[in-house]
Amino acid sequence: MSETLLQIEDLHVEVEGREILTGLDLIIGKGEIHAIMGPNGSGKSTLAYVLTGRPGYEVTAGKMLYKGEDISPLAPDERAKAGIFLAFQYPTEVPGVSVVNFLRTAYNAIHPEDQKAAMAFRLFLQEKIDLLEIPTELVDRYVNQGFSGGEKKRNEILQMAVLSPELAIMDETDSGLDIDALKHVSGGVNKLAGPEVGIVLITHYQRLLNYIHPDVVHVLMGGRIARSGGFELAEQLEAEGYEGLAKELGLSVQDIEEVAREEGAS
Amino acid sequence: MPDKLNREAAERLSRALHEPSWLVERRMAAFDVFEKLEPPDPKGEEWRYTDVRRFDFDRFDAPVPTEGVPELSPEAAARGVIVTDLWSAARDHPELLEEHFFTEVPIQEHKFTALHGAFLSDGVLVYVPRGVEVEMPLSIARRMAGGGSVFPHTTVVVDEQASLTFVDRFGSEDLSEPSLCASVVEVEARRGATVNYISLQQWGRSVHHFQTQRFTGHRDSTVRSLAVNLGSAFARTQVESVLKGEGSFSEMLGLYFADSEQHFAQRTLQSHNAAHTTSDLLYKGALKERSRSEYSGLIKVLRGAQGTDAYQANRNLLLSEDSMARSIPQLEIEANEVRCTHGATVSPVEEEHLFYLMSRGIDRVTAQKLVVFGFFGDVLDRIRVAEVREGLANAIAAKVEGGQSLEVAA
Ligand SMILES: Nc1ncnc2c1ncn2[C@@H]1O[C@H](COP(=O)(O)OP(=O)(O)OP(=O)(O)O)[C@@H](O)[C@H]1O
Ligand SMILES: [Mg+2]
Repeated sequence: MSETLLQIEDLHVEVEGREILTGLDLIIGKGEIHAIMGPNGSGKSTLAYVLTGRPGYEVTAGKMLYKGEDISPLAPDERAKAGIFLAFQYPTEVPGVSVVNFLRTAYNAIHPEDQKAAMAFRLFLQEKIDLLEIPTELVDRYVNQGFSGGEKKRNEILQMAVLSPELAIMDETDSGLDIDALKHVSGGVNKLAGPEVGIVLITHYQRLLNYIHPDVVHVLMGGRIARSGGFELAEQLEAEGYEGLAKELGLSVQDIEEVAREEGAS
Repeated sequence: MPDKLNREAAERLSRALHEPSWLVERRMAAFDVFEKLEPPDPKGEEWRYTDVRRFDFDRFDAPVPTEGVPELSPEAAARGVIVTDLWSAARDHPELLEEHFFTEVPIQEHKFTALHGAFLSDGVLVYVPRGVEVEMPLSIARRMAGGGSVFPHTTVVVDEQASLTFVDRFGSEDLSEPSLCASVVEVEARRGATVNYISLQQWGRSVHHFQTQRFTGHRDSTVRSLAVNLGSAFARTQVESVLKGEGSFSEMLGLYFADSEQHFAQRTLQSHNAAHTTSDLLYKGALKERSRSEYSGLIKVLRGAQGTDAYQANRNLLLSEDSMARSIPQLEIEANEVRCTHGATVSPVEEEHLFYLMSRGIDRVTAQKLVVFGFFGDVLDRIRVAEVREGLANAIAAKVEGGQSLEVAA
């Protein structure tokens, strides 16, 4: 077993008074890549948000230990400084703030020992842009404003490459990417991967896992990790869907569908 | 004991400034008007939300005459540019002064213009002759002491095909005693002239600031104004562009950022009096803590002003739940071939935006700064004087941080 990076124990999370995570356990070791799959509305993004400290996501019980320390009291920026990064499922548009200015501010906040002036940062950023084959003009535009779906996802990965986190969570970064973009994004993730880094890939598709090979695949259902396995679990889900697994676990499929329907309606 | 704002004080000012009789007469006439006039009615459109019916004028000491005019480059002086205080102008350029002094903003307009006329103590006259382009911006700093009052007057005449940039700064330390500023700005751009006028209001707290700015644009002229409100306890700024000549253009920018208990009231007028005139107004403000602001803007298109193109936008960003902004656009259109666009928004800073920025390691205050700069970006980008732009950026950053308001560097 590698050294533990993230340890989640019996985590209960409420959003708007509704319990979404109902006792979730998960351990991520340094150097590991984990995939999390699960039906729509099962709470995958909720898990990602609660790890990054999004307001409105309340931990009602359980623990989140990152490098052995409880992160619940930390503000989002403090968690980011500690090395946690989330590639958002729906990246936020921030009017008037250019990507390059935003990223330089973030980089300098996270790396007090390596303050980069505008020119130096630009060069550093250009390397990452070239690596991910992102159109350069994107970084002079306002954060995510008017970006296509795929451009937003690639911008998330660019940010990840610039900030080089130790725990990177990617929430459906593969959705909406064309084949070439998927390759570039996977390349970026594989480049980040290493013995000190933990990676969590939230995805609906086995496709991504062909490019980034996970050590463990989890299924989030009924508010907790319902099953964990190897790559074959992803293959099984791709072939059979979640129904079989739900029956096996004694979860009513109706419950899941209801959640999915609410999700779709909201 | 220094004088209060009474008749004797006005007479003493006249004597101290060695005013010629016509100026003395005007001053004393203004005092009579001041005494007679009722305070502006807050039920009327112009002074809505600014209730000065119980404004106590006896709190303030009479002004001390202020000397000093902006420094003019020797080249500009050699080309006939005149920059002088009003009293030297009365001696050296009496026709010029009589022709332009209080012509655009009449003394009897309201109680504060009358008061201004009665206690005028700090005035500058600028004249740029035909065809002369003054490259360097002229800049003047108006000052004030606690418990006192100042009545700055700016008269600018830019003759045909000439150009000028003028920066009017109103700034002081934070003053412990209530203080008063009532200012009048009159700017005339003659045929084909270009004027760029910037007012920076950065008084210390406890100052009450009242200002009327009026710009007259003749044929094919360009008038750009920027009205900044950052300081004072209360500020009422009235900015009016009167496009009298065909083909004239006016850009009107406003930038304000209020915090604590500050209250800014802003009134604008885009008056299209001639055909094929264009006005483009953008006023943007951020509000923090318990501050509030009102903006009310009128686009007026007179009969015969065909082909008018008027644009007006007021945007407000609320940084706290207790802050408040009101925005009231008005249109009065008598011509039938016009294009008028107006829009007003008041919106809080989105927590969603802050969270996204913070999730990358940026602390909350810095995230707010990025959002506020993003908000003001389009106004800042349009400011043509680099020192003003940079100074404002610093002042905005300091406001977000909540520190002492920095003065825009000279
Ligand atoms: N702000 C909110 N208010 C109310 N309900 C919410 C809120 N945020 C999330 N939820 C609910 O929590 C549940 C879990 O949502 P979450 O976004 O975590 O699902 P997900 O697993 O990421 O789904 P998907 O695969 O569709 O992205 C859903 O039923 C959703 O409607
Ligand atoms: Mg999701």
